[in-house]
Amino acid sequence: MEKKKKQNIVKEILAVRGMGQVVTVTVGLVVLSIVFGILNPTFFSGRNVGNLLRQIAPILIIGIGQSYVLITGNIDLSIGSVVGMSCMISATLMTKGVNPWIAVLITIAVCIGVGIVNGLLVAQCKLPPFIATLGTMTVARGIAQIVNNNYNTDAIGDGAQTFRDLFYYGKTIGLYNTVWLAVILFFVFNFLLSKTRTGRHTYAVGSNLEAAKLSGVNVVATTVKTYIVSAFCACVVGLITCATAGMGTMDAGNMYEMYAVAASVIGGVSTLGGQGLLVGTVIGASIWGVLQNGLQFAGAPVAIRNIVIGIIVVVSVLLDVIIRTGAPKKKV
Amino acid sequence: MQDYIVEIKDVDKSFPGVQALDKVSFQLRAGEVMALLGENGAGKSTLMKILSGVYSRDSGTVKIFGKEYKDLNPRLAQEIGVAIIHQELNMCSHLTVAENIFLGREKLRGGVLHNRSMNKEAKKILDDLNIDIDPATIVGDLAVSKQQMVEIAKALSTNARILIMDEPTSALTSKEIDDLFVIIRKLKENGRGIVYISHRLEELQYIVDRVTIMRDGKYITTADFNKITMEEIISNMVGREIKEKFPKVTCEQGKKILEVRNLNAGRMVRDVNFALYEGEIVGIAGLMGAGRTETTRAIFGVDEKESGEIYLDGHEVTIHSPADAIKAGIVLAPEDRKKDGLCVKLSVRENIALPNLDILCDKFGVVDKKKEKTMTEKTVDELKIKLPSPEVNAGALSGGNQQKVVVGKWLARQSRVVIFDEPTRGIDVAAKVEIYNLMNALKKQGIGVLFVSSEMPEVMGISDRILVMCDGRITGELNTKEATQDKILTYATKFESKRAEA
Repeated sequence: MEKKKKQNIVKEILAVRGMGQVVTVTVGLVVLSIVFGILNPTFFSGRNVGNLLRQIAPILIIGIGQSYVLITGNIDLSIGSVVGMSCMISATLMTKGVNPWIAVLITIAVCIGVGIVNGLLVAQCKLPPFIATLGTMTVARGIAQIVNNNYNTDAIGDGAQTFRDLFYYGKTIGLYNTVWLAVILFFVFNFLLSKTRTGRHTYAVGSNLEAAKLSGVNVVATTVKTYIVSAFCACVVGLITCATAGMGTMDAGNMYEMYAVAASVIGGVSTLGGQGLLVGTVIGASIWGVLQNGLQFAGAPVAIRNIVIGIIVVVSVLLDVIIRTGAPKKKV
Repeated sequence: MQDYIVEIKDVDKSFPGVQALDKVSFQLRAGEVMALLGENGAGKSTLMKILSGVYSRDSGTVKIFGKEYKDLNPRLAQEIGVAIIHQELNMCSHLTVAENIFLGREKLRGGVLHNRSMNKEAKKILDDLNIDIDPATIVGDLAVSKQQMVEIAKALSTNARILIMDEPTSALTSKEIDDLFVIIRKLKENGRGIVYISHRLEELQYIVDRVTIMRDGKYITTADFNKITMEEIISNMVGREIKEKFPKVTCEQGKKILEVRNLNAGRMVRDVNFALYEGEIVGIAGLMGAGRTETTRAIFGVDEKESGEIYLDGHEVTIHSPADAIKAGIVLAPEDRKKDGLCVKLSVRENIALPNLDILCDKFGVVDKKKEKTMTEKTVDELKIKLPSPEVNAGALSGGNQQKVVVGKWLARQSRVVIFDEPTRGIDVAAKVEIYNLMNALKKQGIGVLFVSSEMPEVMGISDRILVMCDGRITGELNTKEATQDKILTYATKFESKRAEA
């Protein structure tokens, strides 16, 4: 009886759309971890695992945002710059003596503003998302540079210690707070995506925009919401960056939009829309982190790490394409 | 006599430069199937879009269930009970059947999606229609016909009492069409009114009660279906009499042009052998999924061949890609013109020039504009393609004219064999006849014509010889004189018995 129930649960999980690829990628993650573990026994040490998770967290958070946008069939290139903007705005405010929590709220508000603009440009003005967010990417980076007159900020100071603890240095039940933050955001956004009407509409818009519209789905609102999620996630990552360095850096988040795409795509989110699971993004971000961490341990320079990750992205999408076209499903 | 549930009176609608509807009237009763007929561009779709609130009208009245509506919009129309089943299926292929049925009207419990109750209700709706589909299936995994039934179920779940079906059978096999008709009859019994738009006139007899005919944006006539002849319908649609639905020319059979020997390509093309002679049109008949399209693709080099030889004018030719086939003189006008036949965003001129750039370019690869212009003009003239200018996007033309462009680009070069795959799908009667005339002209010129069609009257009317396929094999060959629908069907359903295989 108990066993049967268990089997049903397994069956139910596997029946979820796109779970197949998540399982495949998970196997890849396990293999990769074992290889690095054999190459370097300290890979699995408590200290390294803690660091590894902290390395993965920001990529996961920003990946969640990008996944939302990708599922609607769009893309958000502005998020790397939003990370920089969030980092610089929050740091500048704090160095000017603003209460850190108020600084955080203002930063979130501005970043969400960028998300709304992105969403409206894409959904209302019907700009190609690649172009629209390429534009806001440049603007957001410009804002990051302008807030402190083209300089990185000074140290955000002692008044911001609790802020730094919450976003980076502190630990709760043995795990870094950054990791908890990622876990909480994952659960919240996964719930929204899989269990609510907005989530369902997100998939519908990406699957067939016209059909969604004809079914009475508010396509503009749905699209704007996904860009808000994306900008919000980038904002959180910017705050983490600020807490990590203890100062604002203008080039923070450089290339993060691409890492976010990598995490999503490795995890099986389709760039064509309609398909993808945040669990996949977790695995994708983990593979990204394990590669970075493991290759670093193995003494590979940054350049080599970039090359390897780039190849992994292409190969994982290629595998997906081959699996899909190679074994067409029989139509019922 | 029952009351009308839809009464449209003197509706005008103009778009910039076109009077799309000119004082059109239309009525629908509960429990009847009304066929709305007319050529492409007659205004059928515009009229239905006004009824479903997509377009607003310039003048005239629209009464639904006896109540007059001044400003209709899609949502209001849906609430009143008007639903359209679109020609191009509008489904989210990544979502499940139940998710699609309830899209935009999801059931929630405490703000959270209540999938169980949606699945249950979807199942009930499907069961009521005797549709055997699991509501948890992902729509993209269903065959087109099943998707269509899901779309009907979706419309009914909104409690639609007026159903508009725009070319619902254009992508269905005859078995699937039968299934659809069973459902339509059932809906009729339930007292729903159905507007049925179709170019396949021969299928009307199975379901239609009355017909309304439109032409050039004007209302022409309404009649009970059993009081009007097919000839009257056609002449009303076209505005003149079409003497022959299937014009035929007889030619002396000449020498062998094309011979295909032992062609194998995947499961759908198995040991195909046939020959094609000068002065004849060979039709390939069969059910959907019989491997006809796959055969043409293998010959044209789109799909990889496993084995087999192709002889052209007695010489073996090697074809690994469409480029090889074109060079050898074999060309294909594919089935799905928007997807495979045309670059819809390029102009008609560019589309015609595309496969002929080898002729049009000088030795440096620069396009000779003058030659290109001449070729375009000649093609447009010869095929009587109706267009404002060769610079318009191919996608902007009507179906019939698009098909002419697909064919025309091949005729601009000297080919030996022209393969047509479903050349008349979704185009109106007059345009069909023009395509037939074109095929006949090729036949007279001594060019080999091979054509695939799912419409049996067409195959029998146009071909000189008919090959019937089933399950990837050629199961029969008939001379058109001895061919009957029954004979073709017998061959078309000649599946290999499992015992014979073992």
